[in-house]
Amino acid sequence: MLKNYLKIALKILGRRKFFTFISLFAISVTLLVLLVATALLDNVFATGAPEVHAGRMLGVYRMTMKGPENTSTAPVGYAFLDRYVRPMAKLPSVERITITTFAESVVSYLNGRKIQSSMRRTDGEFWRVLAFDFVEGEPFTAADEENGRRVAVISETTRQRFFDGRPAVGKTLEADGQSFRVVGVVRDVPVLRYSSSADLWVPISTAKSSGYKQGWMGHFSALILARSPADLPQIKAEFQSILRGAEKQIPDPKEFKTLIAGADTLFEGAARLFLPGPPVVDPAIQLRAVLLALMLGFMLLPTINLVNINLSRILDRASEIGVRRAFGASSRTLIGQFLIENLVLTLIGAGVGLALAAVVLRIFNASGLIEHAGLQINARVFLYGLAIALFFGLLSGVYPAWRMSKLHPVQALRGRSA
Amino acid sequence: MIRHLLKLVWNRKRSNALMVLEICASFLVVFGVATLGLFFLDNYRRPLGFEWKNVWNVRVGIARAGGSPGDNGSPEQAVLFDRLLREVRSFGAVEAAAGTAVTPFDQGGFGGNWTIDGKNVEMALDEVTPGFADVMGLKMVAGRWFQDADSGLAWEPIVIDRELARTVYGTADPVGRPFGKPEPNERQRRVIGVVSDFRKSGELMPNDNFMFRLTDLRGHGRTPSNLLVRVRPGTSPEFEEALVKHMQAVAPDWSFEVLPLAQVRATSSRFFLTPLIVAGTVAFFLLLMVGLGLIGVLWQNLLQRTREIGLRRAAGASRAAVHRQLLLEQMVVTSLGVLIGTLLVVQIPVLDLIGVLSNRVFASGLLFAMITMYLISILCTLYPSTLAARVQPAEALRYE
Repeated sequence: MLKNYLKIALKILGRRKFFTFISLFAISVTLLVLLVATALLDNVFATGAPEVHAGRMLGVYRMTMKGPENTSTAPVGYAFLDRYVRPMAKLPSVERITITTFAESVVSYLNGRKIQSSMRRTDGEFWRVLAFDFVEGEPFTAADEENGRRVAVISETTRQRFFDGRPAVGKTLEADGQSFRVVGVVRDVPVLRYSSSADLWVPISTAKSSGYKQGWMGHFSALILARSPADLPQIKAEFQSILRGAEKQIPDPKEFKTLIAGADTLFEGAARLFLPGPPVVDPAIQLRAVLLALMLGFMLLPTINLVNINLSRILDRASEIGVRRAFGASSRTLIGQFLIENLVLTLIGAGVGLALAAVVLRIFNASGLIEHAGLQINARVFLYGLAIALFFGLLSGVYPAWRMSKLHPVQALRGRSA
Repeated sequence: MIRHLLKLVWNRKRSNALMVLEICASFLVVFGVATLGLFFLDNYRRPLGFEWKNVWNVRVGIARAGGSPGDNGSPEQAVLFDRLLREVRSFGAVEAAAGTAVTPFDQGGFGGNWTIDGKNVEMALDEVTPGFADVMGLKMVAGRWFQDADSGLAWEPIVIDRELARTVYGTADPVGRPFGKPEPNERQRRVIGVVSDFRKSGELMPNDNFMFRLTDLRGHGRTPSNLLVRVRPGTSPEFEEALVKHMQAVAPDWSFEVLPLAQVRATSSRFFLTPLIVAGTVAFFLLLMVGLGLIGVLWQNLLQRTREIGLRRAAGASRAAVHRQLLLEQMVVTSLGVLIGTLLVVQIPVLDLIGVLSNRVFASGLLFAMITMYLISILCTLYPSTLAARVQPAEALRYE
């Protein structure tokens, strides 16, 4: 039966070429846009180097201090993380914890040339929470951090900029007026990986002054690596109870009374970063809702368009439907047949969309709009794309199929449709 | 005639309803993108109020010892910043230098809602040193700019822009007038001057209500986080390295990053224009998709009306008359879609959903979207209706 439907579907596609072209164009353009968006989101949130343990990783990225009059939201300060988050490493469910600054832009001058890089100051644990791909040398250690040694791990791009791509371990480079000895070179990290990306990683203790050690708010974040993904809820709860305890010790208790923060997955963390408005305890639900609304809003017009085209196509086949009805085909059979035809068309369109998306992403990566973007269609994006295509095919097929099944056989046989 | 057309459209209400919906949705898409573009264009044509060429912004990274959010930095840091300013001015290539809390063109900034004389006023503000007006080439339209001696006054001097002057004082002369009521630990603010414009966020953003406060570097007050330098035209980029090296020597614990304002401006334009370009491209393909879809649907519809058209032709209607009828029918359908779209869109100013949208921009966006939809509609009807008008009466009537 299914084989027959498929055969008919393909026959029909060949019959009215203009209509087929219009439908395919609409489907592939729609899916192209959705696939590119999915690839972008995948690049930010999904597990990937160096965040290979993203499934069991939590981050404390931002904190909101709230008082009767003032509210202040910023990345967390070192003092807070050192005092309240780092001790969480003793919990049995926590494997290790690292503290790192957010990437900040620094400037170097090399032979009269200006080089801008993003720099992260971090500790020895950083390299064990995240799995960087070392092409040369090795990470700096906890001992390097404790002793304030001026050492640096650099990205391949940085090696290209400073050393023309030649082996760099053991050489020194200058950044932000300080000089560092290169100990390792890693593959580039997409700049969208906000918890790990940089061009240059150096120990925290090499900061120009020790002022960073005092603030509750600052420019730091902490990454917590759990032993297994199942431990995450418990660690999150533990962090909230620590936060409640910390509220009693806020340095300026008159101005600020409550703390809002979370041990977040990458998705929750990004939601907290990007969503405007007052801080919320669970921003992930909000961001998911926003993304879903955006997707459905975007799909509205193409869906109406396709429904319209599909209706016209069906009415074109009124006599065929009339014959089938007259010989006893039920509405349900006809709806099923038409939905399958529509899905075949959608999947062909999806294939075209996928190919186009691959081209667009390649152009996007080459454009350098997002540094080291490395957007790609991987298996995950492909599966998402397939799901979206099926959803789209059903959405745009249901109403025309229903209309088709309602055609009166006599009218249909006469070739009328209204 | 109109009634007749409406009847024709009503007779085919089911398939026309879908078309109306499609046109309405496309209308909303065009309106959204067009309004965003026109909003930028409208802003772009207004005066910026400052000169950004040959101005460099030096971001000064200071390790704030207190680390709490309200931290202003220590008096020693303010004094060191003052010394930096003097050292920078001593370079021959430097025409003027000043400290500022906010970088022009940058997205960040200070602002909020203030209650002044019972009015709720939304404004942005900056804290600057007296050299700021020289560096940025601000134009005074009334009163005067800050002087060094101003920091010792018993009241707090402020400079506002024309927009804010109009909002708070209407047509009255603001110079010398008090500005709102002071909080218990503040001095009374008083306006000493008015600048023409200061559009901190750049050409693409609308005029802000803007207020300048004076930063006092003599030991109390917030240490600025940026140092602006106006260099002589033609200063080579190599000077930048010398400047940074010198500042680094004066303040070894601080970080410095030089960005010409031209570069900050480019980043800022990209920030605003990239979404417009992406939305515009997507909208273009959506419209192409809709246009092709309309052609297909109309074609199919007209094929089914062959007999009706044949009858009209047989009864003596000319090709042009048939052509006109079909085109007008489509115009009725388009108008319905556009009307519904307009009714939806008009809610934006009625409910005051987007405050920054001026009536002119809104009206132009609406007009643009209408014209676009009618054009697409006409273009898509032309080919199918030509085909239909070509129907031979005899052939059409023979059909059954």
